[in-house]
Amino acid sequence: MTQTLLSIRNIKKHFGAVQAIAGIDLDIRENEFFALLGASGSGKTTLLRMLAGFEMPTAGSVMLDGQDISHVLPNHRPVNLMFQSYALFPHMTAAQNIAYGLEMDKLPRPEIKARVAEILDVIQLSPLANRKPDQLSGGQRQRVALARALVKRPRLLLLDEPLGALDKKLRGEMQLELKRIQHEFGITFIVVTHDQEEALVMADRIAILHEGNLLQCGSPHEIYEHPQSRFAAGFIGVMNFLPVRRSGNELIAKDGSKITADLGDDLANESDAVAAVRPERLSLDVQDDDNRLTGRVSALAYHGLDLQVHLDTPLSSEPIMIRLTADAAEGRRLSIGENVTVGWPAKDTRVFSA
Amino acid sequence: MTDRKSFYLMTPALAWLTGLMVIPCLLILALAFFRRGTYGGIEYTFTLENIGLVFDPLYASIFLKSASIAGLSALIAVIVGYAAAYAIAAAPAKRQPILLFFAVLPFWSNYLVRTYAWIVLLNREGLIASIVHSLGYEGELPRMLYTESAVVIGLVYNYLPFVILACYAPLSRLNPEIAEASRDLGGSGWTTFRRVTLPMTAPGIATGFVFVFVLSIGNFVTPALLGGGQFQMIGNLVYAQFLTANDWPFGAALSMFLIAIMMGLLTLQTFATERASGARQEDT
Repeated sequence: MTQTLLSIRNIKKHFGAVQAIAGIDLDIRENEFFALLGASGSGKTTLLRMLAGFEMPTAGSVMLDGQDISHVLPNHRPVNLMFQSYALFPHMTAAQNIAYGLEMDKLPRPEIKARVAEILDVIQLSPLANRKPDQLSGGQRQRVALARALVKRPRLLLLDEPLGALDKKLRGEMQLELKRIQHEFGITFIVVTHDQEEALVMADRIAILHEGNLLQCGSPHEIYEHPQSRFAAGFIGVMNFLPVRRSGNELIAKDGSKITADLGDDLANESDAVAAVRPERLSLDVQDDDNRLTGRVSALAYHGLDLQVHLDTPLSSEPIMIRLTADAAEGRRLSIGENVTVGWPAKDTRVFSA
Repeated sequence: MTDRKSFYLMTPALAWLTGLMVIPCLLILALAFFRRGTYGGIEYTFTLENIGLVFDPLYASIFLKSASIAGLSALIAVIVGYAAAYAIAAAPAKRQPILLFFAVLPFWSNYLVRTYAWIVLLNREGLIASIVHSLGYEGELPRMLYTESAVVIGLVYNYLPFVILACYAPLSRLNPEIAEASRDLGGSGWTTFRRVTLPMTAPGIATGFVFVFVLSIGNFVTPALLGGGQFQMIGNLVYAQFLTANDWPFGAALSMFLIAIMMGLLTLQTFATERASGARQEDT
C-alpha cells in the first residue's frame, strides 16, 4: 500500500453552539484522488477549510507528512486550495495570477517565468496569458484557478466544487481532464463535491459526510455496491427501499411476501429493517430469480440509453424504480397501467436497520 | 427606457442646471476678459490682463498654497477614512449600517456650526487648553487656532464622511475568498493588503481623494474661520475680489482657473472609475 500523506485524527469544529464537524478520522494516501462527498451543511467545506488553514479545529489534529499542521497559518502550509468562486485576482492577468504564488516563494524571475509558461501550456491557455479574468470564459477561468494552485506544486491540492460552475458538457470533459492532470503532476487531490456522479467518476476513494460525521469511506465501487447505511445508499445513485421485518432468516415485506438476502448477524430477529435494491439490478419477467414482485406500471421515462419504469406495488408507498437497458426495453413494449413482474437475485439485496 | 422618455425625465434637472448654474457661471467667466472700471464695475473692452495677473508670483503662490493644503487634507482624510471604512467593512454585516450611520452623522449638522465647534476646541482658552491646564501643565501652549494646521484639521474633519463612504463601497463588495486566495498562495496579511485589497479598492481611494481635494481647494469658510485673517486660500481671494476689492474681472479669472483644476480632476477620476467598473460589469 502507498504511503499515508495526510492523517486527520478525531477532528472537531464548533461555530459557537453549532457543531460543524463532530469528530472525524481519515487517512489520505500519497497521490490519491480523494473526494469528500456530502450535501450542503454536511461539513465538507468546513473540513476542507481546516485543511487549508482558514479554520482552526476545535479539537483533534491534522498531520501532513507526519507533522502536525492543525494550527499552521494558510500561507505557511504546503497545501493549496482552488476556490469554488475561483477567487482570481481581477486586476491581474492570467499569467500574473499564476505567478503570484511563486513570487510569494521568492523564486528567481526566470524560474517563475518558465514555470508559468509551462503550466499555461498544460492547461492550453498560453495564447490567453495576458488576458484579465473578466476577458476569459468560465471554463478558462476555472483552468487558470487550477493552474494557480497547481503551479506551486503543493503536497496537497484542495478543490472546492471545482466543476460546480461549469455547464454539464464541459463538466464531463473536465472530470477526465482533472484526473489526467492529477496523474501527470503526481499531487494528492482532495475534491469537495455534492455531485455523487462526479465523485464516482473522478475519485480513487470517496468519503461520505453527513451532518458533521463520516458515514463511510471507500472506493467508488464499494460505496455504490455496498453502502453501509441507509443514508449512504440513498445518497449515491438511485435506490429502491422496501420496509421489511426480519423473521428468522427471511425478510417479510408489508404485504406478507418474502424477500431473500444475505443476512448478517447484526440485525436482530423480529426487528424492523429496510431492504434495498438498485434499479438496474431488477429485470423483467425472470422466473428463476430469488425475489419477485408484481406491480402496475405508473410512469415511463425514456432516456435514450435506458428506459426508467416506475412500478406501483403493495410493498412500498413509493414507486419501485426499474432501469432497463435500451436492448431490454426494445424487446418488450411497456405501457402505463400494464402489470409486470420483476425479479432480482438475493445477492443484490442490501439490508439496513430501520 | 426609451430615449424620448429619458429625455423628458431629464429635462427639468437639465433646465435648472443650465439656467441657474451653467449660464451664470459662463457669464462670470466671460467677465475675466473685460477691464475693471476705475471705480469698480466693468468696462466692456477686451483684455487678457486679468488672466496674466493670475500667473503673478503673488497669486500663483496662493494657488500653490491652496493646492498643498487641499492635497494634505485629502491625503490625511484618505488615510484616516480608508482605515475606518476597512474596519466597518470587516465588522459583522449586521453592525455595518449602524457604524456607517455614526460615521456620516456629523454631516447632518450645519457646516458653520461644526467649524465653530473647532474654534471652541482650539481657542487659547478653549476646551483643549483648559484640559491640558487642569492636568497641571503651567507653560504656554503652542498656538492652535488661526494656523494652517487648524485649517487642515477643519477640512479633514468636514470631508471625512465622504471618504469613508467612497472607500466603504468597494471594500464591502470584495469577495473574501480573494484575500483568502492570496493567503493560500503564501502571501502574508500585509502582502495580501498591498497586492490585492489595496489595488482592488483603489477607485474608492481616488474618488475620496479627488472629492476632498476639490472641495478643499475652493473652500473659503474654513480658512476664514480657522485660519484667521492673515491666511488666504484661493477661495478667500476670489471672495475678496468680488465682495471687498470690487474687482469682478480678476475674481472671474481666478474662478476660471479654479474651475479648470476641479473639472480636470473630476474628469480624470470619472474616467478611472468608469474603467474599473466597466471591467467589473463585463464579468457578469
